[in-house]
Amino acid sequence: MKVSLSWLKDYIAINMDAADLADALTMVGLEVESVADRYDYLGSVVVGSIEDVSPHPNADKLKICRVNTGDQISSVVCGAPNVETGMLVPLAKPGTVFPDGSELKKSVIRGVSSEGMLCSDAELGLGIDSSGIKALDLSLKVGDRLADALGLYDIVLEFDLTPNRPDCLSVIGIAREIAAIQKTPLNYPDYTIEDKANAIHNISSVKIEAPDHCPRYSARLVEKVKVEASPFWLQDRLLSIGLRPINNIVDITNFVMMETGQPLHAFDFDFLAENRIVVRTAAEGERFVTLDEKERTLGAEMLMICDGAQAVGIGGVMGGLNSEIETTTTRVLIEGAYFNPVSIRRTSKKLGLGTDASHRFERGVDPQGTVRAVNRAAKLMVELGGGSLVEGIIDEYPKPQTLNSVDLSVRRTHRLLGITPDAGQIKNLLESIEFKVENMRSEDVDERLTVVPPTFRVDISRPEDLMEEVARLSGYNNIPTTFPAMPAEGRTSDHSLGLRNRIKRLMNGFGFTEAITYSFASERTGDRLRLKDQDARRNYLHILNPLTEDQTVMRTSLVPGLIEAAVYNIAHQVKNLKLFEIGKTYIKSDRQNLPLEPEILAALWTGSRNDTSWHQGEIPCDFYDIKGCVEALIRALKIDNVRFTKIPDETCEYTRPGHTAQILIAGLQVGIAGEIHPLVRDNFDLKQTAFIFELELDKIMSLIPSDAASRPIPRFPAIYRDITIIIDRGIETQTVLQAVDDIGENLVERLHLFDVFEGNPIAAGKKSISFRVTYRSSTKTLEDDDVNDLHRAITDKLLNAFGATLP
Amino acid sequence: MEDNLDHIHQQALKDLEALENTDDLQDISVRYLGRKGVLTQFLRNISKLPVAQRPAAGKKANEIKSLLEKAFKEATEKLESQDEAAEAAIDVSLPGRAVACGALHPITQVNQQICDIFSNLGFDIAEGPEVESDYYNFEALNFPKDHPARDMQDTFFITDDIVLRTHTSPNQIRSMEKQSPPVRIIVPGKVYRCDSDLTHTPMFHQVEGLLVDENISFGDLKGILTTFVHQLFDEQTSLRFRPSFFPFTEPSAEVDILCVICRGEGCRVCSHTGWLEILGSGMVHPALYENVGYDADRYTGFAFGMGVDRIAMLKYGIDDIRKFFENDIRFLEQF
Repeated sequence: MKVSLSWLKDYIAINMDAADLADALTMVGLEVESVADRYDYLGSVVVGSIEDVSPHPNADKLKICRVNTGDQISSVVCGAPNVETGMLVPLAKPGTVFPDGSELKKSVIRGVSSEGMLCSDAELGLGIDSSGIKALDLSLKVGDRLADALGLYDIVLEFDLTPNRPDCLSVIGIAREIAAIQKTPLNYPDYTIEDKANAIHNISSVKIEAPDHCPRYSARLVEKVKVEASPFWLQDRLLSIGLRPINNIVDITNFVMMETGQPLHAFDFDFLAENRIVVRTAAEGERFVTLDEKERTLGAEMLMICDGAQAVGIGGVMGGLNSEIETTTTRVLIEGAYFNPVSIRRTSKKLGLGTDASHRFERGVDPQGTVRAVNRAAKLMVELGGGSLVEGIIDEYPKPQTLNSVDLSVRRTHRLLGITPDAGQIKNLLESIEFKVENMRSEDVDERLTVVPPTFRVDISRPEDLMEEVARLSGYNNIPTTFPAMPAEGRTSDHSLGLRNRIKRLMNGFGFTEAITYSFASERTGDRLRLKDQDARRNYLHILNPLTEDQTVMRTSLVPGLIEAAVYNIAHQVKNLKLFEIGKTYIKSDRQNLPLEPEILAALWTGSRNDTSWHQGEIPCDFYDIKGCVEALIRALKIDNVRFTKIPDETCEYTRPGHTAQILIAGLQVGIAGEIHPLVRDNFDLKQTAFIFELELDKIMSLIPSDAASRPIPRFPAIYRDITIIIDRGIETQTVLQAVDDIGENLVERLHLFDVFEGNPIAAGKKSISFRVTYRSSTKTLEDDDVNDLHRAITDKLLNAFGATLP
Repeated sequence: MEDNLDHIHQQALKDLEALENTDDLQDISVRYLGRKGVLTQFLRNISKLPVAQRPAAGKKANEIKSLLEKAFKEATEKLESQDEAAEAAIDVSLPGRAVACGALHPITQVNQQICDIFSNLGFDIAEGPEVESDYYNFEALNFPKDHPARDMQDTFFITDDIVLRTHTSPNQIRSMEKQSPPVRIIVPGKVYRCDSDLTHTPMFHQVEGLLVDENISFGDLKGILTTFVHQLFDEQTSLRFRPSFFPFTEPSAEVDILCVICRGEGCRVCSHTGWLEILGSGMVHPALYENVGYDADRYTGFAFGMGVDRIAMLKYGIDDIRKFFENDIRFLEQF
């Protein structure tokens, strides 16, 4: 909300400069977002002197003026009748942005170029006269900025108000806070009308059929008004805070709303059927055209303001086109109501229609403020619109809004805030913002105050609310800094956070950089990953109100995000990439309301295995590179019993068949590693081979031992024996090694695969594998004889079990 | 006579000292020991000396000759070994064999710094779900349905009753439900709001804090957060607490720090105010205690929350929050 200093000064004398005022208001909780000179836009408008006026060669009504601005002479095309040599006039230079938002550009008018524009009062927002160029006092200095020359200066404060302070959505509301800060009095305008009769009740009536939605409705009638432009001071007030003047009647309702915070509506009384108002809820599906000329479909819960026959406004949100004030209007019914905040908010949300009025009503206006505002508007309409007041006021108030007093303990105030104002000081602070302290008494060791907040402070209902008032008026910065005692008892921090950080550090060590991708995905991701129809990862959690089309669902896999990151980097000429991410996926659950959020570690490697350098050329990375990382990670985490085997057919559609392993720990599948399927690469427009792995962290975490157990370092030397066998190439080497392990008893310390070979002289469909067996005893130095039998047994076993042959 | 010999000796040693290469050595060797060399000449001329002086002079000259020969030999060896070393030398300025080293995402790094600071202040770290019920995200935090306070957070909805959490604050409720006071936790995590521009992304990161115990005051809130800011930035960073509004705290305070870019002079980053808003905080609203069954007469506490991404932007001088999620490796590797 914007407030101009000049307007504020109607109600309070301000004894600070603008910057200090803004700071002081911010520090009592009304955050000032910006402080701006209202006349900044006049910065490029200067005082010019007309040197001569000549006719425009191509247009009868236009003239060409040579305007001296001290340092230069500009040629300006002008159509105003009153320009003449010797006049001092405002010259707007190209780049000037006028109050109506238009920007002045250098232009050619009917073949003659114009280096600026001579302006009228209205064009400059300095008055309402638009009949001719503004004639400036001849004592002004040519070339001066117009704002300086005319002494125009007004500061506009823009506030970012929190939703608990609707009382400050008005100039008086802000002035009230300034009064409390300065400890100076506030001058309220005169809101009273002494009625001598009750004539209005003979002409009109208000019937509230929905008192829950509309607890109060006040109205006054003004007749014989003349609808015309407002006087300049009123237009100027509205312009100063960015509102557009329309006509005197509408301007008055806006002015009073901005002054008091109470939204008003003015009806053309003669358009109201039976000259009366009925307040009811809409019929479901009812249609209504609002002031902005849009037809809206209403819901049964929406509050309508109606006349004797039909709806004339959506209560608290926007009036209807059918009862709009027009230039022919002579009788005006002024509405000032208190609407239920929840009702207005629902209507405004459902219609997607927010207005200055609904903004205030949904936050809560002062239920006792309706009459004051209606009176103020009626008086202004008499004064400025030439109208005459129909005596009497309609004030239907079927649901009086009660105000509860709040009991405040001084002791608990001290405990919560850490400052110790006494009861008298608290009373003074609260009274400075118009709270009433009704009663002060001592109970036991505590003093208590009974406080009645003013009716405009709809946010106050608990003692803590009062404590906040005490704190903010004392100044938060005056509360001394203290420290809570440290707890002595041991803490049980979540284990998984430390592990996650450890895993991230390990991945860094393996050369992977951490990415963070959005948790959102496109619904099409399932297709792009070639997921099967029944894949749970297609069962997306949909966002009802997504921001963009490619962020309509929550991701079920981290892989697409990493692929997209790779594509992005490759497009920026970085082709060698090692990226990883640890993040959640979101899987719908049948058993609970909220989805499951399994945490996944995923990594992607594409491009070169190594940095190219003078040592070595580029070698493309392959499956065994990414697998090596998984192995190293699992080893570093001290997890045993890990196995990689071929993934069952058609269980991972986004990786290349025959180049994908499932990762098993103690028989439990915890992830996959493999090459991205070429078709998936096409779907994502990934132009190079890439390898990925995925690990389900929730499963891994539980397998990580919290402490490693130490083993003795071997005391006796080992004996090494090599075996080479030839087997079918389809047999997984892992199973061969496993078989050795199974019979090796405890003398086999380690198996080291050192060669795998296919091709001549090995027969087609076969491969030779060579590995070294390390034999060691923990009790003695082994001799050849000790291992010969075992080694033979191992060889025989392999020959039998795998149909192997020796080379 | 003998003086003359000593002089020749000294001069020869000095010349050896100054030599630079084998050519120099050759010259010096010829100059002293060559056929026409100084010492050779001296020996030839011994016969011209008085007889009585001849034996002594000859002895001395031969001694010096052998000393010089030895010195020349040593100098030769030294020069040769130098050449050999030069031949075997490697270019140590060539780059070493690359050891790949990845980087942690800047948000992770700042997140860890924040968690470490609070860990040292005695806070436990907790986590909670990102897809959250309306109850935990709003209702239990004293955001009634149809209240304008909900407009403060543009919410992504999954259903009418399930949302993407708009803040990490639901964990205040979740933690208090799980344990009785004292509670002293921080909760890092991802949060979501439907908003996207230079300073907003629909997903970002927060760290929530909650401390509930007996006799916790607003002064304590100021103490903990002041310590935190001083550790995260530096001891010189001044901060101010100003009244604000959050439905789940009362009183509520926004914490501003003096702009770390312009030090309060006013710049684009701080919108020319000299201050940067980095934390929301306040004393836990009694409605929350009622919702979790705490005794509001006995316990008081404070809560706070901060945007990790924004703090990372300030710490690293990043002007566009969207860079965090583009995952441009040239960006990520800078941290």
